Amino acid sequence: MSKIIKIVLAVNLIVLAILAFVYPHLMVGPGKLIPGHGKLETDCFACHAPLSGATTERCTTCHKQEDIGKLTTLGQTIQKPLTSTPFHQKLLKQDCLACHSDHAGVKRFRTEGRFNHALLQADARKECQSCHKSPTDSLHQQITGNCNQCHTQQKWVPATFDHDKYFALDRDHNVKCATCHVRNDYNRYTCYGCHEHSLEKIRREHIEEGIRDFKNCVECHRSADEHDIRMPGRGQEQGGRNGRERDDD
Amino acid sequence: MTTPATASLWRSHILPFTLLVTLLGVATVIGDYLLHRLDLVWIGRYLGIPGTLLIIGSLIYSLRKRKVITSGNVKTWLSLHEIGTWLGSLMVLVHSGIHFNAILPWLATIAMGINVISGMVGKMLLARSREHVQGQREHYQLRGLSKNEVEQAVFWESVTFDAMTKWRKVHIPIFIAFAVLALGHIVSIFLFWGWQ
Repeated sequence: MSKIIKIVLAVNLIVLAILAFVYPHLMVGPGKLIPGHGKLETDCFACHAPLSGATTERCTTCHKQEDIGKLTTLGQTIQKPLTSTPFHQKLLKQDCLACHSDHAGVKRFRTEGRFNHALLQADARKECQSCHKSPTDSLHQQITGNCNQCHTQQKWVPATFDHDKYFALDRDHNVKCATCHVRNDYNRYTCYGCHEHSLEKIRREHIEEGIRDFKNCVECHRSADEHDIRMPGRGQEQGGRNGRERDDD
Repeated sequence: MTTPATASLWRSHILPFTLLVTLLGVATVIGDYLLHRLDLVWIGRYLGIPGTLLIIGSLIYSLRKRKVITSGNVKTWLSLHEIGTWLGSLMVLVHSGIHFNAILPWLATIAMGINVISGMVGKMLLARSREHVQGQREHYQLRGLSKNEVEQAVFWESVTFDAMTKWRKVHIPIFIAFAVLALGHIVSIFLFWGWQ
């Protein structure tokens, strides 16, 4: 290799090395930083520790966990918070990088490290409505809390709950949830919430059939069809005299 | 009108060269597409490591040719050099993807691309040189050398052929530029990346 080529090569590479130190965000940074960190563009070590990358310790130097979602790093009240309720105070542990990625090039193709409800403390995981608004459709407007009966914390849809598995809401039973689930408690139900089914009437009808235990209606009745009666251990019976624990004549 | 010699040059040298370069480009696009399609982009992020190791490993040929190491058949080392650099380059190209973020890694990628093309030109020139030194084969055979010794002698004649010497003057500086740029990228990754 001739001396001139060596010199030209060396000069070019030295210039590139200098550029890397003067403009690190352009030369080695994987994409633009988020707008809030724009001022740190040329100060890589504000967030990155040499040889170990960005660390939570460096994040919390500016972002105090107790202030996140409430105050800015300058101590001013956040006027338009991104979430309705601050939740960083309810995280199981401080691991900023588990969710956050500041460089556009890294953020775009990041499959892991997005928000995960599992990072929240157990109590906070139950308080869905402190962060999420209930949908405005007629069904959800009737419901308060207990979101996890139908929805998982991984995905809103598909909702896994299928009411037909318990009771088909057909004909006269297409009513408001609270008619059967008093106070929106979906762990319980009552069939005596309407005029048709009074306790006295139901009791009389079952006693006539020799059925003494009729507390759990849906154990045998899964729809409004009076002929569609399923008795535990005896399968489905169509019409006729039937019922669990009934007296034999 | 195409002469037989021109047709031979096209068929024996330019066509394989074009095919190898095109194949590299096509394989890169397919690899990148598949990783995105299968949601396996993270593999591309780490593909730079085996790619670089393959390229470094293939440099054993250069050491063998300069007789820094003496073991192994130099022709075999050359074949491994060609395959290793092509495959390593493919991995690095998929690793770089088509994402324009920082300048330094892109300069390294471009330098690598030029290096690969230069290497393929070298491969083409070497084949041409071999043809030119075929006449020497008989000379060595008449001197009573064994078949293997004749092959080795013809090989050394071809790699030291004038055209090859000139080509090397271009290939080596390109390689050094690529190596330094790649090293800069690797150092910056070690410095800033969180290996967790």
